[in-house]
Amino acid sequence: MQAGLALPYPSANWRQSLVRGLLSVGTLLLFGQALAITQARPQELITGVGGMADIFRRAVPPDGSVVQTSIGAAVETFDIALVGTAVAVLLSLPLAVLAARNASPSPALYQVARGVIAVTRAVPDLIWALFFVTAVGLGPFPGVLAQSVHSIGMLGRLFAETIEDMDMGPVEALTVTGASRSQIVTHAILPGILPSLIGIALYRLDENVRSSLVLGFVGAGGIGFLILTYMNLFQYRKVATLLVMTYVLVVVVERVSAAIRRRVQ
Amino acid sequence: MAVLPEASPVKIPVARGLRALGEPLLDVSGLSKRFPTGKQALDSVCLQVHPGDLAVVLGANGSGKSTLLRCCVRLIDPTAGSVRVSGHDLAHLDGAALREARMAVAMIFQQANLVRRCSALANVVMGTLGRHSDMGSKLGLLPREEYEHAMACLGRVGLPHVAEQRADTLSGGQAQRVAIARGLSQRPRVLLADEPVASLDPEAAQDVMALLRLLAEEERLGIVCVLHQPALALRFGHRILGLRDGRVVFDRSAEDVTGDHIAQLYRADVEAA
Repeated sequence: MQAGLALPYPSANWRQSLVRGLLSVGTLLLFGQALAITQARPQELITGVGGMADIFRRAVPPDGSVVQTSIGAAVETFDIALVGTAVAVLLSLPLAVLAARNASPSPALYQVARGVIAVTRAVPDLIWALFFVTAVGLGPFPGVLAQSVHSIGMLGRLFAETIEDMDMGPVEALTVTGASRSQIVTHAILPGILPSLIGIALYRLDENVRSSLVLGFVGAGGIGFLILTYMNLFQYRKVATLLVMTYVLVVVVERVSAAIRRRVQ
Repeated sequence: MAVLPEASPVKIPVARGLRALGEPLLDVSGLSKRFPTGKQALDSVCLQVHPGDLAVVLGANGSGKSTLLRCCVRLIDPTAGSVRVSGHDLAHLDGAALREARMAVAMIFQQANLVRRCSALANVVMGTLGRHSDMGSKLGLLPREEYEHAMACLGRVGLPHVAEQRADTLSGGQAQRVAIARGLSQRPRVLLADEPVASLDPEAAQDVMALLRLLAEEERLGIVCVLHQPALALRFGHRILGLRDGRVVFDRSAEDVTGDHIAQLYRADVEAA
């Protein structure tokens, strides 16, 4: 540390200043238009307080009489997620192998698999549910189909990334023993990614339980369908009970899946 | 220092004797590899290994040692040349024929490359997958009938007691010996080892090298081992091959290798023409 030794440092030139200025103005414009388009008017939130208080008053105390009749619907909501996730795991695994750069047998299959993943992922499960409700009718089954299809994309991408990140040593070792491609997948790749695979699948189940609730709104069964029905009948006390049940369901699934994920090494 | 932990006397049936004595097990000729970057990693390498031979390949970093072994088993495709083992030319096979020919050649890597979540025994059984094509083995089941053979292989490397242990609980030296057992369970005629002791402590390194020498002599395997340590090479190898810039600069029996031979491999390129 020598006194008086001034090190030259780059000073901001006019070009940098200009860029920074333009970026600031651009950012302000971006958010300005977003607020205008979304018609954000905070004062309405304040004037709406009365209405909210009214709904809340009419929702308490929750009407416990629906608990017994809606237990089945809550189970249905969970089951939609369970079956939907399980089907998606089974179908997305082979897809992920094709969509992992280091495991795919051919560039053409790689592109096809990536395409399938992109499409199923990009379309939200709510849209898939609308589609399947139209195709196979109301009930939990279209919900299962919707979650399966959407989850195939979500899981396929994560599984493929896990495979791409894995240690390829055992894969090479089995390759040179003369093992076939499918043997290498089941004996080296699957055991290698198993902990991540279980973690990702449980996390997906968690997400699917929450989303299967929303699917009920479009007629795909479960507790969501009941909430919508009572909401339309202005029976807010019953809705309140259903929301509490939903909360319990979601929290229980979340906790259990987190506990399992912690234990799997 | 215990050079070898009590290797059990179990003998493993190794395929052999198909060709007249004197024929090499592994016959590499004119093997060349030019990478897309333009680097000539191997330049017409010739190498023959006979039963009972432990040939050690020495060379500086980038001399093509690993590329040589990886080309032999087609983890890398060579640009030219042939790799003959048991009458098959591995350099010119594909698909099922390549997989079948690969079974005659076991390969050991710097890392043991075991499947970490499986038991040592399961890992050894995996070496036999090549000869099983039933649906079960494709779906992840191990061939039951190979367990006995796999135990014999674990016995051969002196580790029958770790059979039930998960691979990720083994020490470095144990893991490498389990990897060797996996190679043996392939029933190979040739064993290639790519710096098998580079990540082991000196004692474990000696154990592994002594085991390789023993396997060459007792199982009559042909072994090619890439090493970084000339001292180990001179102590355990029957033959030393010097590799420099992708070319074999010498190939002589270990007793005839002098310090000058070794030095020539690692000298910086001052007088390169």
